[in-house]
Amino acid sequence: MKLRQVTAEAKLLLIGIPVLIWTMLPIYHLFLFAISPKDQAMGGQLWPDKPTLHNFEVVFLQQHHYLNFFWLQMWNSLVIAVAAGLITLMVATGAAFAISRLKVRGGRMAMNLALLTYFIPAAFLAVPMYKTMGVYGLLNNQWSLILAMVTIATPYSIWVLKQASDKLPFELDEAAKIDGASPLQLFRLVYLPLMTPSLVAVGTYALLLAWNEYLYAFLLLSSERDITLGVALGNFLAADDSPWELLMTTGLIYALPPAAIYYTFKRYMVGGLTAGAVKS
Amino acid sequence: MASVSFSHIEKSFGSTKVIHGIGFDIADGEFMVLVGPSGCGKSTLLRMLAGLEEITGGVIAIDGKEVNDVESKDRDIAMVFQSYALYPHMTVADNMAFSLKLRKADPKMIAERVDKASKILNLDPYLHRFPRELSGGQRQRVAMGRAIVRDPKVFLFDEPLSNLDAKLRVAMRAEIKALHQRLKTTTVYVTHDQVEAMTMADRIVVMHDGRIEQIGTPLELYDRPGNLFVAQFIGSPAMNVVQGTVRRAGGTAHVDVEGGGSWPLDGGPGVDGQAVSYGIRPEHLTLASGGNGVPGQIIVVEPTGAETELLISVGASQVILRTHGRPRVNPDEKVHLAVDPANVHLFDRTSGQRLAA
Repeated sequence: MKLRQVTAEAKLLLIGIPVLIWTMLPIYHLFLFAISPKDQAMGGQLWPDKPTLHNFEVVFLQQHHYLNFFWLQMWNSLVIAVAAGLITLMVATGAAFAISRLKVRGGRMAMNLALLTYFIPAAFLAVPMYKTMGVYGLLNNQWSLILAMVTIATPYSIWVLKQASDKLPFELDEAAKIDGASPLQLFRLVYLPLMTPSLVAVGTYALLLAWNEYLYAFLLLSSERDITLGVALGNFLAADDSPWELLMTTGLIYALPPAAIYYTFKRYMVGGLTAGAVKS
Repeated sequence: MASVSFSHIEKSFGSTKVIHGIGFDIADGEFMVLVGPSGCGKSTLLRMLAGLEEITGGVIAIDGKEVNDVESKDRDIAMVFQSYALYPHMTVADNMAFSLKLRKADPKMIAERVDKASKILNLDPYLHRFPRELSGGQRQRVAMGRAIVRDPKVFLFDEPLSNLDAKLRVAMRAEIKALHQRLKTTTVYVTHDQVEAMTMADRIVVMHDGRIEQIGTPLELYDRPGNLFVAQFIGSPAMNVVQGTVRRAGGTAHVDVEGGGSWPLDGGPGVDGQAVSYGIRPEHLTLASGGNGVPGQIIVVEPTGAETELLISVGASQVILRTHGRPRVNPDEKVHLAVDPANVHLFDRTSGQRLAA
């Protein structure tokens, strides 16, 4: 018995260690760049001779022309991601409640149609989306990116939330109905509290999706004051002599909030996103 | 408190008709049990009374007022579900107070009602716990508490004890009955368990395939089942039934059983030559001494302590005998069965209806 546990553990480690190295290596590289002085950045050493925090200083004080709007762009990223997360949550929760609990006629079909959009790669939809936003007069307006992200995140979110709400016993709704709850009270007082783990998971998913978005952000926003930090990072590459150490430093900073969010909500993430995937 | 009446109730799901024109009345304060095998429509009937299912045809009235188009929350009913359906994110106290809060009742009155209900149900120590921290029996009591605080006109129970283990079920059965005797609220109770029906009900409605088989007090149903279905559904172990033909011409009246055997009859119903189902309850069979009575052979002896059940073959059929004694018999032993013809139930073979004298 003991031996078997040891072998099982060893097998896991055998897979785990390479995976860890594989995923951590680029991040370590990123980190290495960020703490290296400019002339040593490309040296290929495992640890710089003179590690420095100078790059962070340059970024935070916006002391390079690529970084003139660092804080504003960071703020843009944050506002857009949070807005996309919240709006996706509102739309998807309402839809899932209507489809799963109120059993609105045609609800399932609406959800399946929404999921069908995933058959078309998001990149193909970029141009039509650009056109649509133009028609609405939203180009170069951050709402265009927020709405685009909501559009992309919503079908999956509805599906996840619907699966999760299907697992709530229907007697709860009936009990609440007899107790005198209107559909809105049922939603607010019974449904939302019980769905919290899934709501956190889905909200985080949409938030990170928007935070990490590049293509749509690049297309829909153009003013330096409107773009997200992700797009700003891409602009570094426009020059022949890109300041790699600053690009990597900014990238590292840009990667921290998602990591923090994921870490905070991780107990909801796995359970929430797979809720209803299998019969328990 | 209120009376309830069902008249000509019909229910269809799509093109499938599950309830075929049912009508009966429940008196004010009565404990009425709907019993029947699964799929007989008893739960559907209860859910129609609760307002959780549309009524396809007929009228349901509470206190003489038609409620067909009245919403659940305005029918002044409270329901206890099989799965308890407690709100998992609320404490016991909040679960019980929920309906009153929705009705915007005075907080002081809510506190009083919750306090009173929790005292009745011995839930005081658990008021601030969550449902997941309670045992099955305690959860069931909270579900009842939630119904009590409403002080509704009618209590509805939908198989409330099915999720409990056997021992707890017996205890809760007595608790619900005691509760009813104390509150005297009109109660409609659905179960598939005939023992529950017998022990708790003032009157029982036996249902089968969307129709009523018989309505009556527990002992009426037991002593004078109106048809073969009720005869075999009520009572455990079930009534012994053998198929035979009435013989009244010449000698003593008896029933000739197909496959051998002859069972005694008295001067009651059944005309000569009539094909009948002959029923006799296990406790009305006794072992005869001196070689008189119906000959049979012991198959199995089942002692339960207080009682002994014997499975006996008579001709091609098998019957069960139940006795309070501890008869000294062994499998394969030949015995004779004594029957008091006064305890015999005769049913028409084709219609299954009880034959009355």
